[in-house]
Amino acid sequence: MTARDLGERAVVLRVVEGGGPDDREMPRLRDLDWSILMARAQDGDRAAYHRLLTEISPYLRSLATRRLWNGADIEDAVQDILLTVHAIRHTYDPARPFAPWLVTIAQRRLIDRLRRQGRIRRREVVMEPEHEAVAEPQHDTGLDGHHLQAAVDSLPPAQQQALRLVKLQEMSLKDASHASGMSISALKVNVHRALKTLQKLFSDRDQS
Amino acid sequence: MIDTPDLITSLSSDMKPVRRLQPPLLRAAGWLGFAAVLLALIAINRGIRPDLAERMQDAAFATSMAAALATGILAAVAAFIVSLPDRSRLWLLLPVPALILWLSNVGYQCLTHWVVIGPEGISPGEAVRCFSTLALTGLPLSLLLCIMLRYAAVLRPAAVAITGSLSVGALTATALSLFHTIDASAMILMWNVGTAAMFAALGAAFGGSAMGWAERRLS
Repeated sequence: MTARDLGERAVVLRVVEGGGPDDREMPRLRDLDWSILMARAQDGDRAAYHRLLTEISPYLRSLATRRLWNGADIEDAVQDILLTVHAIRHTYDPARPFAPWLVTIAQRRLIDRLRRQGRIRRREVVMEPEHEAVAEPQHDTGLDGHHLQAAVDSLPPAQQQALRLVKLQEMSLKDASHASGMSISALKVNVHRALKTLQKLFSDRDQS
Repeated sequence: MIDTPDLITSLSSDMKPVRRLQPPLLRAAGWLGFAAVLLALIAINRGIRPDLAERMQDAAFATSMAAALATGILAAVAAFIVSLPDRSRLWLLLPVPALILWLSNVGYQCLTHWVVIGPEGISPGEAVRCFSTLALTGLPLSLLLCIMLRYAAVLRPAAVAITGSLSVGALTATALSLFHTIDASAMILMWNVGTAAMFAALGAAFGGSAMGWAERRLS
């Protein structure tokens, strides 16, 4: 590799690492600082720990940005890494450099996240607008308001009331019980029976 | 989602001082010490196999014992080192030479003396005792290793679990050779390699989640 190649590579690296001038000197120059801060944190120095976590966050964000694209996801990943650092902070040995310890944890968490996302993507499909392209609304499905109203009116009064309060007015069972004077179990039974009757009514109508 | 600065504030305000881990070699030595005590207890309780001194004269048997023991020790050291985030994964190769020596030796013994296992073969009673030794050695060792390496659950669970289980398997196989008369070819292969393979497979399948469980319970 020629000197020119090396120079170009350095430029590329700087561009990839991105961010402000702070990012560029990380992690080499900061390593000692961070190592000292972590050692003090392990001994219980909360201020040192706060400073350490605040200082490593932008660096973790730059690591996450290289692997993830979604902004919210990146922030989520940074927090995941911070929580992991917190959980296993006793595994850091202050006699050794801090950056390799941190970078391994960050990379492992990021790779785990990507794998999890891969699994989810294989199982799930993103809901696109074209998926919602259902058939034209049919006329006379028997489900327009008028028919529904008539069907509800044909139910026994207790079922009508339960259905109105719980399903149409979306009251909680407790409130509905208060308003109607029926017990909660009676309400449940009446709503269930009402829905069953309506279902039967409309399916009969569809078949006919 | 909570803001990152808020998270940092809450983490640092709730933070308690922690005890740093001892160096991995020291921790591996501690675990191996526990294994030695366990084997000694079983030896006191059960007695070493009567023909051990005589069998140790046999170079193939002695080599295979030594190689199994070395595999167990080196795999334990590798597991403790690799469980730390800032150590190279190349440490995983540490037990490989001993493992190759052990497996090839067992294979060689099978090939050279394909001994018929007596007229009655291995007695059912001996097989049951073999299983009890397997459980008595393997389970406590696995449990302790899981607890000691629980922090690796978020880092390299699979690699650490497989290396750790290999160590348990190799030590258990050593125990089997110490306590049971099972030298006839197929039996050696089955008990030695089978034990190591079984522990490694169990480690690969459940090691990660077991470490995760220990992490949640004890941290």
